[in-house]
Amino acid sequence: MLSSAKHKINHSAFSVSSSSSSLPHSYSQAKNMTQVTMEEVWKDINLASLHQHRQLNIDHEPVLSNQNPNNSIFKDFLKKPLNQEPQPLPPSSSSSTLHRSLPPPPPETVLSLNPHSINTHFDESARFGCFGMKRGGQESDESRGDRRHKRMIKNRESAARSRARKQAYTNELELAISHLQKENARLKRQEEQLKMAEATQHQTKRKLQRSWTTPF
Amino acid sequence: MSVNNRDPLVVGGVIGDVLERFTRSIDLRVTYGQREVTNGLDIRPSQIINKPRVEIGGEDLRNFYTLVMVDPDVPSPSNPHLREYLHWLVTDIPATTGTNFGNEIVSYESPRPTSGIHRLVLVLFRQLGRQTVYEPGWRPQFNTREFAALYNLSLPVAAVYFNCQRDNGCGGRRT
Repeated sequence: MLSSAKHKINHSAFSVSSSSSSLPHSYSQAKNMTQVTMEEVWKDINLASLHQHRQLNIDHEPVLSNQNPNNSIFKDFLKKPLNQEPQPLPPSSSSSTLHRSLPPPPPETVLSLNPHSINTHFDESARFGCFGMKRGGQESDESRGDRRHKRMIKNRESAARSRARKQAYTNELELAISHLQKENARLKRQEEQLKMAEATQHQTKRKLQRSWTTPF
Repeated sequence: MSVNNRDPLVVGGVIGDVLERFTRSIDLRVTYGQREVTNGLDIRPSQIINKPRVEIGGEDLRNFYTLVMVDPDVPSPSNPHLREYLHWLVTDIPATTGTNFGNEIVSYESPRPTSGIHRLVLVLFRQLGRQTVYEPGWRPQFNTREFAALYNLSLPVAAVYFNCQRDNGCGGRRT
């Protein structure tokens, strides 16, 4: 029973995204934090109505509860993956949108049942995803695109700043070069003049000339 | 020499973000240790822990100048909502001397940017005469333009800026 439940979860997780293993982990981790509340809710949830629910993420719940009406087995099932799971989502800024779709569903589910469980180990992107994804598929697409768009704009601004920085430094160097070249030329001319002046002075010194004669 | 469009101060955005266009008329030499600051230079926080040596030009010792040092990119260049951060304020600097001869109204606080690459701008203003300048009260959200207007400092006579980012790493992803 337990294994089949797990298999079902993995199966549905696989349909969401490629990295199937992390879904039950993160989901279970989030679950663990709200175990007390969840159990209460489980008792009240009408499983049949949930089955008809089209949202993929919420599909996991009926699967679980169908197989494990007994809470203790459910707990055991949850404890097992928790040992291996330090952090469900590596903080990678370059993750594809497909990957992004993965972490948000679990917190979203938790969100709908218990709003206090947002504080998880998920990184900023997952947390950010929570806000725009309370309903499900359609809004998540929009907010995902929105986020991507914002990111793109920020990246563009950063790139522009970087280019400006580079250009400013280059201009400064060019100005410095031109200044130094002028000064160099000026100093060289000065040196030449001094040399010439010294040379003519030297020449005149060679010939001893009477410049002044006494009257007697 | 007036500031043209290729001037590093313009390209780097200092003119615009912090200052209006102006014409340089006084020499300004800022030196951290052995390193003289030229526009756009990259300097790490570990190299600017102590205040720099600042020497100004001019000719008449009866003219007094004010030096302002600000960071317009706080807390980060992509989100500078605390623009500008006042790092240093020295007034009554006589021409041909340096900040050692002036009145340090706001003591030098060494920059320690946490996120992104910050610009640090040093601006020199000519005072109308020896005047009392009151310290702003807090360092963030300083406005150089308003400050200059408040104390009748008119346009700057010199300015230089450099870049600074944290010593190790990039500070993590911005939130």
